[in-house]
Formats: sequence, structure tokens, C-alpha cells
Amino acid sequence: MTYGDFVAVERASFSVRAGECVAIIGPNGNGKSSIALAIAGLVSRSGKVEVDGVLAPARNPAWMAARGLSLVPERRQLFAGLPVVDNILLGCYSWTKNLRKARASDAFSEAVDLFPELQPRLKQLAGTLSGGQQQMVALARGLAARPKILVIDEPCLGLAEIVARRMYEAFKHLNESGRTIILIEENPLRALAITKRALRVERGILDERVDGRLAEHLAEAASLEVNPS
Amino acid sequence: MTTFGDLFLAGLSTGAIYAVFALCFTMLFRTSAVLNLAVGDFAMLGAMGVDFLYRVESWPLAVAIIFDLAMIGLFAFVYDLAVLRTALEGSRAREAILVLFFFTFSLSLFIEGLAQHMFGTNVVSAPPLWNGPSLQFWGLDLQRPAVLLIGLAILTGGGFAAYLRFSLNGKAMAACGDNALGARICGIRQPSFRRGMFVAMAILAGVFGIVESPMTGYVFNSGGSLSLLGLISAAFAGFVKPVRAVAAGLLIGIAEAMLGGYVSSQYQDTLLFTVLVAAILIRPQILGNLNPAN
Repeated sequence: MTYGDFVAVERASFSVRAGECVAIIGPNGNGKSSIALAIAGLVSRSGKVEVDGVLAPARNPAWMAARGLSLVPERRQLFAGLPVVDNILLGCYSWTKNLRKARASDAFSEAVDLFPELQPRLKQLAGTLSGGQQQMVALARGLAARPKILVIDEPCLGLAEIVARRMYEAFKHLNESGRTIILIEENPLRALAITKRALRVERGILDERVDGRLAEHLAEAASLEVNPS
Repeated sequence: MTTFGDLFLAGLSTGAIYAVFALCFTMLFRTSAVLNLAVGDFAMLGAMGVDFLYRVESWPLAVAIIFDLAMIGLFAFVYDLAVLRTALEGSRAREAILVLFFFTFSLSLFIEGLAQHMFGTNVVSAPPLWNGPSLQFWGLDLQRPAVLLIGLAILTGGGFAAYLRFSLNGKAMAACGDNALGARICGIRQPSFRRGMFVAMAILAGVFGIVESPMTGYVFNSGGSLSLLGLISAAFAGFVKPVRAVAAGLLIGIAEAMLGGYVSSQYQDTLLFTVLVAAILIRPQILGNLNPAN
């Protein structure tokens, strides 16, 4: 994966089982978010991505969304000028173009019910919400897409600890209800709350063969801190 | 009272012209952030094309209108595929508004040249779609094409507003203009919406040209000034809400007529633009999306 001449991700090879929750960790600027964008088909890439054994076309986010992969992106990418309810309804667009059907769907109800604090704000413009509330809307929008796989990129960036904990409770609930979760997280300690499996990205390389358990990564990180050499 | 009423109706007729063009600008901008400066030229093609096919080539009027509008739609479709797609998609994407200005301004000049070559330099008009003497409203006269024009502005403005509000496709279209990346994440195919809206607005402008031309007549370079008036009205609607675009167009038309009638017909345009600039200075939020504060 490249941006012009800059190689953001040189190699990324891994697989995720249905229903699993896996964290992609690593320092900032090493290619974690680029991997998320490439999986979702939002940027050009070489190599291949498969969903349920079916080869995904490159640069085709609509195909990915229709196959049940939903991205909750870094910095949320909400529709700031539209009400919260429309933002969530647009999550349904990957499986229906019918507003009435979307509104009456279980997916929409589940998305709205996930964060009861959004209920009184459904008619409010998304751009006027706080950062934490916007993150809730982004996750609700992703959930309205009836996802089999949720790719969640840096969900707690800039959020207060109490809101971050609230988000992680929701991830745990979604994973327990059968959704596969790929969580991009800078903070491995936080990821430990919902998964034991972590894939580390370093200088644009992610290799499943050096995959490890989060605790090992944490121990490794701690030893590096104690002995910086 | 009669003077006020006459001025009001005259302003409403002129305002309907601004309103339809403001609508064309607003809907396309809302979908793709593209300002189509050639929209007035599509109106000119509508009027002059029908005149040519009906009067010069002696085609039946209905066939001439359908063929003319189909050609306008096809032309807009090909232009989007050949130019806008290259400009807005893929690795050569240029999202700067000034670059897009250049593309649609070039299209405007191209259409003018084409029209001059095909239709000549005379002032012409499509035949009136609704013949007969002026209609009377409380003792005031209103030309039948003006009634059609005002009806077209209100119907299309209301129709688009309903589409945006009551359909998921309409909401998806609004989402494209709000956040293109967010729209792609939701699986919305933004280029298809942009192409559809570019073609639809070209055809709407063509219909408008056919309806309106019996009142004013068109020449090959009439499009530029119409586009400018639509752009100004759309700016006052913040390029966001179709009903607001229609209302802004109608109000500006009425203000122009009143200033011309009560203050000075000679300096009508100068006064109008002075009022518009003052309005922006006093309430910058009028500009909505264009206000840098947003």
C-alpha cells in the first residue's frame, strides 16, 4: 500500500476466524490505519483480501459493505450536516435503499439502542455532538450495516477514559453476540480488555507468523522500556 | 397597489428564472461539491435546439423536445465520463473548487461555440407550451409562460426537498456532498450520484430554457449570465436546501423588481447587488456552507 512514493504498508498477511476478536497494535505512523483502509477497499493496494473465501475486488468499498464488512474509521467520518438519525440510517444503505425498511429493521433498532444516551439527540446535527457522542454514532452507523465483520480504527482517540471504557463495553457485547472484530488500537493495555490475540505492525510490516498473545507483546514492550537498548 | 402588484408579479417571474438555476447549482453541489457554471448553457441548448428542430427542420414539437432533451442528457453524461470522472476520481483527483470551476467554465465556453456554429447568432425561442392571452389575478396580468415557470420552480424545489427528506437514496445523495469518504464507507457510490445529478440538472435546465424562452428569447451566449444569477441565488441558499434555493431566487427577483420600480430602473442591478452585499456583511450565516466559519 502506497501514498504516492511513500510505502505505508509493505507487507500484511494474516487471517481472522469468524466470531474472533483480534487487535492490530503498534506505534503511530506504522501503517495500522492504512491496513484498515485497504481491507475496507478505500485505498488501492496490491495483494489480495478474502471474505468468507471470496476474493474482494480492490478499491470497492461498496462490495465490502455489501459482504458485511463495516468500517468504523479513525476520526469517525460522520455526516456532520445531517441529523444523528440520518447518520445511523445511512449505515443501512449497504443492504437496503428503502427508508421505511431501514427504519423498521432490527439492525437500526439495535444500533439506536446500543447507546441510550443518543436517544434524545437523534434529531441533532451530528457535527454538534461531543467527541464521545460522535464516536457512539460512528459505531451505531457501523452496526446498522448488519456487519459480520467490524473493523474499528482507533476508537478512543481523544476520548475521556470513562467514555473509552463505555466504548469497550460495547465492543465486548458486539463480539459476544457473534460479530468478528478487528480492532486497531495504539494502546495494547486497552485492547487486552476484550481480546488476547494481537497482531503487531511495525514499519509497515504485519506478519501473522510473528503473531503473539497480547500479554507477550506487553511484556516485550515493558522490557524495551526497562532496557531501551 | 396596482404598481406594487405588477412589480411583485414581474419580480416573481424573474425570480423563478433565478430559482430554477439556483436549484440546479444547489442539487449538484450538495451531491458532489461541483459548481456547474455551464448550467445556463444547457438552458440555451434546450431553447435553441427545440427552435431549430421545430421551426427550421419542421419536426413535430413533442418529438423535437424529447430528442433535444435526450441529446442534452447524453452530452452531459459523456462530459461527466470524459472530464469530471477524470478530475474527481482516481489518482488524478483534484478536489479544489477552483479547478472544478475551470472545468465547468470551459464547458460553458465550449457549448457557446457549438451553439454559435449550429444555431447562428440570432435571438430565437422555443414555441410557447401554453398559448393564450395573459391570465388575470386580482386585476393583474401574468403571462402564461411565467405561470409555467413559477410552477416549475416550486414543483422541482419541493420535489427535490421531498426526495432528500423521505428517501434513503436522497439522504445518501446529501451524505455524498457532506462527507465523500464517509459516504464510501457506507457503501454509497458517490460517482453514480454525481453523474446522475449532473445529467438530471442539465436536462432540468434544458426544460427550463424551453419553458422560459418565449418570454425573453435566447442567443448562443445567453447561458453565462443565467448561470451567474443562479449561482448568486444558490449562494444565498448556502448551496444546501432546495426549497431555500427556490425561495432565495424568488426573493432576489422580487427585490430586483421593487428596487427597479420604486428606486431607480437605471441603477436596478447596482442597487440589488449593494443590498445583497450588505445582507452578507450583516448576516454572514446566510451563506451557509460557503461561510468560512462553517
